[in-house]
Amino acid sequence: MKTVYRVLAYAIAVMVAVQSAAIGYAVFAQLNWMETGGTLDAAAFDTGAPGTAAMIFHALDAGFILLLALALLVVSFFAKIPHGVRWAVIVLVCTILQIAFGVLSHLTAVMGAVHGAVALALFGVAVMAAMRARKPVVVEETVPATVA
Amino acid sequence: MASRSTRVRLVVSVVATVVVLAPLAWLWQSSLVGSSYSVMGMGTLDYGGGPVGGHGHGSTDRSITDLAADTARKADVRVDLVAEQQNLAIGGRSIAGYTLNGTSPGPTITAHQGQLIEVHLRNASVKDGITLHWHGYDVPAAMDGVAGVTQDEVPIGGEFTYRFVANQVGTYWYHSHQVSNPQVIGGLFGTLVVLPKTGKSEPVDVIATAHTYEGTKTINGAAGDLRVPADPGQRVRIRVINTDNGPIETWTDTPFRVLAIDGYEVNAPTDLTERSVTVTAGGRADLGITMPSDGRGVRVQVSKGTAVILGAQAPAAPPQPATSLDLLGYGSPTALSFDPATADRRFEYSIGRRPGFVRGLPGLWWSINGHLYPHVPMYVVQEGDIVTMHIDNHSGQVHPMHLHGHHAVVLARNGVAATGSPWWVDSLNVLDDETYDIAFVATNPGIWLDHCHHLKHAADGMVAHLMYEGVTTPYQVGGTAGNRPE
Repeated sequence: MKTVYRVLAYAIAVMVAVQSAAIGYAVFAQLNWMETGGTLDAAAFDTGAPGTAAMIFHALDAGFILLLALALLVVSFFAKIPHGVRWAVIVLVCTILQIAFGVLSHLTAVMGAVHGAVALALFGVAVMAAMRARKPVVVEETVPATVA
Repeated sequence: MASRSTRVRLVVSVVATVVVLAPLAWLWQSSLVGSSYSVMGMGTLDYGGGPVGGHGHGSTDRSITDLAADTARKADVRVDLVAEQQNLAIGGRSIAGYTLNGTSPGPTITAHQGQLIEVHLRNASVKDGITLHWHGYDVPAAMDGVAGVTQDEVPIGGEFTYRFVANQVGTYWYHSHQVSNPQVIGGLFGTLVVLPKTGKSEPVDVIATAHTYEGTKTINGAAGDLRVPADPGQRVRIRVINTDNGPIETWTDTPFRVLAIDGYEVNAPTDLTERSVTVTAGGRADLGITMPSDGRGVRVQVSKGTAVILGAQAPAAPPQPATSLDLLGYGSPTALSFDPATADRRFEYSIGRRPGFVRGLPGLWWSINGHLYPHVPMYVVQEGDIVTMHIDNHSGQVHPMHLHGHHAVVLARNGVAATGSPWWVDSLNVLDDETYDIAFVATNPGIWLDHCHHLKHAADGMVAHLMYEGVTTPYQVGGTAGNRPE
């Protein structure tokens, strides 16, 4: 279970990086397209203008990350990792907040800035959770001689 | 043997898992609609405060298949349409799409008021099957062309004949209502124009069907501008039809009028300058322009990407006005044929967005009156009812709301009463944080979709129905026929 916990936590971190990559690609694909005469509006978005597929992937992948975070929480109940449940809850809450900020960005664009910043936090807590599940490293220590 | 603390820990873990997953499993299960279902049994019955009748049962039931035009009457306008799935040449690119009689858009169907239109549709090669819905035309219910509600989809090699009397003058369009989002995006649509019995009211009558094919803006299926000859002083009517999923703006720097919205003439329209006109997804706007007497050409932008150029000269693109025309106060009021204050039923159509499951898939979905598909309202009316509907959008995005089989008049927006010409719509642009009050008379028995015409939103569950008491349908969504209306 420890390994499953670690893999899930790292998978979340990797998917957050993929999310950043997708949205970065989408923005520049759209800019490049507009610079060559394309008109970007809702209809162009819906009919497959460059970058659209990456944006749709970004939205769908958010749901996948949420499922990973839920799975991490369930696994944490059985994994016997010190503070493992706590970190899984932190990852899940962070994921929910991140999705909420993404949705709210459609209402207020400035929330998009928060959404971008919270991505780093989610990446960080996912890595931290994964590190909780590392196998303990055996360190040999020299036992000091008894002092009389 | 496991210690007591280990056993306790295991039990706690299992309980915690159940606590997390059980609500999700319940929500998932309740979102499933089965592989085949009738829309008659879908959602929550909403009588809008009116009398509660026998809903779909009893000896007076009428099948939707019987609600058709006079079968004995001979057709005045007959059109044969053959649908194919094939590549389209758009702006120098070849893209996957659909055609009717080899073109996209399909042929323009033109009739005069009072004529009986008969359209014979054959599916030559569209894999998912097709139907034709007459958008904005208040046809008899059996002719509404919605797969799984008013007919079965037309499979490859199949045929269907649509017949209806052209009672409404104006600009309309037709499109597939089987797997409608990809099929309309791919070009399975055409234009329907019904002229007055006396013929065209303007010497120059232009159809400008706006569509975006894989990101390329077109008018009448061609990328770039549409050039139309027009002489100085001539009156021109431009019929702008928005077949996309999002709203478009149209404008010009020559004074113009809005002659009609969604096929219905505006009463006493006045000249407009420095205003654009919003044409919602699925909506139409007829613009009237008198060509300048000095011989100048006129450029009418249909979104930023395309334009209609009238006359020999092509003026530069005019800047987009900062303000869009408010139709709430445009033109002059006239009396309605009914009194909305005496409504028999008053419905709510509240559009939101929330996390949950639709058809078993998790996501952020559109809600209607707080519920996700299929737990959406089934608005029930009786023939002759005066109906009002309060539409409230708090979902964060614009929704072009489209009621089949009826035209509704806008009474108020955000609580402010309409003061202009009666504003009749079949497709209404409802922005986020807006409310609309609309009214109509239930004069067209059937089972009618009342949905968002951003067809992806509809496919994602933003579909409710208006059902007349005593009308039934033998058709099912899904099933062996493979009906998938959205």
